[in-house]
Amino acid sequence: MLKDLFKDIRLLKRMNWPVTAAVALLMMIGVVFIYSSCFVSQEQPVRMLWVKQIVWGVVGIICYVLFSLYDYRRLSRISLWLYMASICLLVLVLFTGVKIYGARRWLRLYGTLGIQPSELSKLSTLIMLAVLMSRPGVKLWQMREVGIILLIVIIPLVLILKEPDLGTGMILLPVAFAMMFVAGVPFRIIGVLAAAGLLLVMLILGAVLLPERLGVGEVGQTRILRLVGLKDYHKVRIEAFFQPEKDPLGAGWSKMQSEIAVGSGGPWGKGFNRGTQKMLGFLPRSVAPTDFIYSVIAEEEGFFGSVVALLLFGIILVGGIHTAIVAEDRMGRLLCIGVVAMIFCHVFINIAMTIGLLPITGLPLPLLSYGGSFMITTMSGLGIVQSVHMHSYPLVQSLRYSRKAGW
Amino acid sequence: MTLSTDLEGELLRARIVSVVIVTAFLFLVAALWRVQVRDVSAYRSNVEKQSIRRVRLPGTRGMILDRNGVCLADNRPSYCIAIYMEELWQAGPLKNTIKEIERIIDSLSGILDLEKVVSRDDIINHLNRRRSLPFLAWSDVDDGVIARWAESGVNLPGVDIYVEPVRMYPQGELAGHVLGYVARAELDKSIEESYDFYLPEVAGAYGLEMALNDLLKGVPGGRLMRVNVIGLKHKDEGTLLPASGTDVVLTLDSRIQQLVEDALAGQKGACVVIDPRNGDILSMASSPSFDSNSFMPTLSRSEWERLSTAEDKPLFNRAIAGVYPPGSVFKPVVAIASLENKVASENTSFNCVGFFQLGDVRFHCWRTRGHGIIGLKKALEQSCNSYFCQLGLLCGYDRIFNMARALGFGWKTGIELEGESDGLLPDGEWNRRNIGVGWRKGDTCNVSIGQGALAATPLQMAVFAATIANGGYLYRPRLLARKVNRGTQGLKENREGHERRRMYGMSEGDLVRAMEWSRETVRIVKEGMYDVIQADNGTGKRAHVSGLEMGGKTGTSQYGLLSEGKKHGWMIVFAPFDEPRYAIAMVIEDAVSGGVTVAPRIKTLMEGILEIENTGIN
Repeated sequence: MLKDLFKDIRLLKRMNWPVTAAVALLMMIGVVFIYSSCFVSQEQPVRMLWVKQIVWGVVGIICYVLFSLYDYRRLSRISLWLYMASICLLVLVLFTGVKIYGARRWLRLYGTLGIQPSELSKLSTLIMLAVLMSRPGVKLWQMREVGIILLIVIIPLVLILKEPDLGTGMILLPVAFAMMFVAGVPFRIIGVLAAAGLLLVMLILGAVLLPERLGVGEVGQTRILRLVGLKDYHKVRIEAFFQPEKDPLGAGWSKMQSEIAVGSGGPWGKGFNRGTQKMLGFLPRSVAPTDFIYSVIAEEEGFFGSVVALLLFGIILVGGIHTAIVAEDRMGRLLCIGVVAMIFCHVFINIAMTIGLLPITGLPLPLLSYGGSFMITTMSGLGIVQSVHMHSYPLVQSLRYSRKAGW
Repeated sequence: MTLSTDLEGELLRARIVSVVIVTAFLFLVAALWRVQVRDVSAYRSNVEKQSIRRVRLPGTRGMILDRNGVCLADNRPSYCIAIYMEELWQAGPLKNTIKEIERIIDSLSGILDLEKVVSRDDIINHLNRRRSLPFLAWSDVDDGVIARWAESGVNLPGVDIYVEPVRMYPQGELAGHVLGYVARAELDKSIEESYDFYLPEVAGAYGLEMALNDLLKGVPGGRLMRVNVIGLKHKDEGTLLPASGTDVVLTLDSRIQQLVEDALAGQKGACVVIDPRNGDILSMASSPSFDSNSFMPTLSRSEWERLSTAEDKPLFNRAIAGVYPPGSVFKPVVAIASLENKVASENTSFNCVGFFQLGDVRFHCWRTRGHGIIGLKKALEQSCNSYFCQLGLLCGYDRIFNMARALGFGWKTGIELEGESDGLLPDGEWNRRNIGVGWRKGDTCNVSIGQGALAATPLQMAVFAATIANGGYLYRPRLLARKVNRGTQGLKENREGHERRRMYGMSEGDLVRAMEWSRETVRIVKEGMYDVIQADNGTGKRAHVSGLEMGGKTGTSQYGLLSEGKKHGWMIVFAPFDEPRYAIAMVIEDAVSGGVTVAPRIKTLMEGILEIENTGIN
C-alpha cells in the first residue's frame, strides 16, 4: 500500500492548489491567533498552546497528503472496518473515557495526549454513508435502503449524545441529510424524514418549553415530560441550550463578551495582540483558543480579518463542491458533499454563535480552533476531497464524450 | 431513470448545495458588517466606558427549627466591601492589575478608615483562582463604615458593597453538637474553577449542618449588569434568582434540650432523650459543648486551637461517638435474653455472697456482704453482680449476644448525624483477633455485668431504654422531623400548621425491628426497673420524682486500670411508667456511681419536663 502511494506521488501535481493554499493559510492564522489569545495567560502550558497546535497542524498535513494520495475508491473496501472501529471507540469512551466538565469525551492515549472518538466517528460515518449510497444498483427510493442509511447515522449519534456531546452529535444529521439529498433520495422521503425529525424536535421542545409558558403547574410539567419519555435533567439541559438567558452568568456572559469583542474590532481591528477585551480576562481558558478563536480574530483584525477568514473557508467549500461536480463517480461526489457539509456546519454555527446569532453550543471552528482530534478529522476529510479531485482528471472529457454518445 | 439524467440530477443538486453555502456565508458577512461596521460605535463605547459586572446573589441557607418552631439556626446579613477585579483589568503583565487593585484598596482604606486586612498574596490568589467572583476586601464591616461609605459616595471603579448572609445560632450554645457548624468550602484546585461563577455557599462542616447540607444549602444566583467607569450601574442584563435552602424542623424540644444541658453542666458526659413511641430525639447533648456562633464568620486560630486540643474535647459529640462500658445498665439485656429463651423465669434465684467465683477469678458485687438468695426482679433492683454472672453463664453467651445485637449493640443506630460510633459487642472472633484467645466463661460474666470489652454510645443506650419502654419496638432514632420548602409555603403558615401537631409521638417512627418479646418478659423486666427507682432502697431511688412513676436502671462502669478506680456513672430511665413518653440515657464521666451522681440529675431533668408538660401544650 505504501508502495502504491509513492508510485502515485506524481498525482500531487493535479491537486486543487487554491484549496490547499486556503487550508494552509487558515492553519497559519489559527496558530497565530491561538498565540494571541493565550498570550495573557498566567500559565506556561497555556501560553505554549500554539506550539502544540503546530504539532497538530503537521500531523494534519500528513493526514491531508496521505489521504489525497490514497485512491478514495479503495475506501469502499475498508469503510465498514473504519465504521466498526469508530463505533467500538465510542462505546469504549463511555466506559473508560476521561471525564472533563461532566462529559466523557476523551480517550487517554499517553500522558495528557488523548483523542475524541466522536470527532473520528464523524468522518467514518460519512465515508460509510458515501459507500452505501454509491453501491451499484442501490435503490435509494426504497424505504429499506433509507432505513439502513438512517441506522448507520443513528448508532454513532446516540453514542455521542450519551457522552454527552450534543454539538458534535447533531452535526451528523445535516451531513447525512446533504448527502442523501445529493445522492438522489426522492424528495418525498427526504421530506418525510425532515418532517418527522422536525416533529420529534418540536415535540421534545414543546414538552420542555411550552407547559411552563402556558402556566401548567410543576406536577403537570413533570407528567408531560414523562409522557414524551424525558427525564428532569434532560429538561434542564434543553432549557440551558435554548434559553441561555436562564444562565445569564455562564453562557449569557460569554455570549455578551464575545459580541462586544467582535463589535469593538470595527472595520480594521485593533491590531494583532492588542485586543483590549482581553479574552482571557473574560472567557474561560478552555474556550478562548478553541470555540471563541473567531472572536479574537474579529476583535484584532476587524471586519476585514473576519471576512478574509470567511473567504478562505468559502474557497475551501466551493472548491469542495467543484470537486463534487467533476468527480468521476457518485462515491467521490458524495464524499465531497459530506466533508463540505461537515465543515460548513461547523463554520456557520461557530461564527453565528460568536456574533450572538445562535446560542453557545461549543462547536470548534475547523482549522482555526485549537484541538488535535478535530484537526485530524478536518484534514483527513479535506485530503479525501483532494483525492477525489486528483483521481477525477479524465472525467471532464469522459462526461462530454458520454453526452455526445447519447447515453 | 437513465444514468445521464441521474448524473444531471446529482450535479444540479450539488450546485444547489453550493448556492445554499454561498447564501449562508453572505448572510454571515452581512451580520458581521452590522456588528463591526454599522454598530461599531456602540460596541466600542461598551468596551471603553462600560463593563459588565457579575453580581453574586447569595442563596440563603435554610433555617433549623425545633419541634415547636423555635429557631435554632438562622441567617443575618453581613456587609462586605467587594472589589470586582475584572473591571480593574490593566493591559500588560498581571502585576499592573495587581498594582491597580492595591491602589484601589489603599484609597478605600483611607476613605472608610479601615485598616487593610488583605495581603498582596490574597489578591494574587483571588486573581488566579476566583477571578470572576467579587473579592471581599473587608468582611462583616460595622454600621459606621457603611455610613462613611454612604457619606463619601465612594467614587472608585470596580468597588461595591456586597451583602452576604452569615449563619447565626440564636440560642447560642444550645444543641451545639446536634446543630454543628458551617465553614466556607475550600475550592477545588482545578484551574477551570476560577471561571465558574457558581461557587458553593458556606457548607456544613459538622453536625446536622453537615449531615443535612444538601437540604439546607441555598443555590446562589447572580445578576449581570452594565456598569460605567465609576461603577454606576445602569442596565440589568439578566438575573438568575438564587434559591433558598430548605428549612428543617427537628424533633428536638429546645426546652428539654436546655434542661438536659443544665443537668450536664460542668461535667463531662452526654444525655439523650427519646420519645419511645417513634424514636424522635427530644434532646441530645454532649458536655462540654461549644457555641456554633464562634465559627462565624470565621473561627480565630487561637479559638480553634483551644477547642480542638482541650483535654475535655468540647468538639467531640459524646452522645453518638463516645463509647463507654455500660456497666449494670446492660443487665436487663441478660434478663430479657434468659426470659425469652426460657432459660430462666421470674423465680430463678441465685445466691450472692458478695462475689462470684469463677475458677480463680472473683467477680465482686457492689454489696460486699452479699445479697443472699435473690430472684430476678430483686436482682435488677439491687443490680446484683453475682446474680447476673450466674444468670449469664446459665443463659449462654450466644443468646445474650443475639439479643444484644438485635437491640442495636455493636452497630450504628442510623441517626442522621455523621461520626456515629458502632460501640463494641465482642464475640469469640473479636477475642481471638484482639486478645488472641477464644471466648471464655469469664468473658460471659464480664459482659453480663456490662464490663469487659463491651462498649456502647449513650444514643445506643437511649434506644435500648426506649425499646424496653415501648415493649419491644426498636425505632431508628431521628432528629429530622420535617422539611419545609420555603418556596411553596410561607414559613409562618407552616409554623402555625405545626402548632396544631406538635404533640409528641404523633408521627409514625421508622421501625427497625419488632422484638416480639412475650408480655411476661416485658412485665418482669419493667417491674424490676420500676423497683430500681420506686422502691425504698432501689439503686436509682435518688431519681424518684414525686407524682411520677418511672422505670430505670443505674450503672457504674469501671474503666482504665482497676487500681485507678475510675468510674463512669450511667442511668437509663423511662417515664411515665405505664405509658412511657420519655426514654432517657445519661452518662457522666468520672462519677462516683450511677445512683449517686446521675440519678439526682435525672430527677431534676424529669421534674423540669413535668413542669413543661403542665404549663405547656401536651
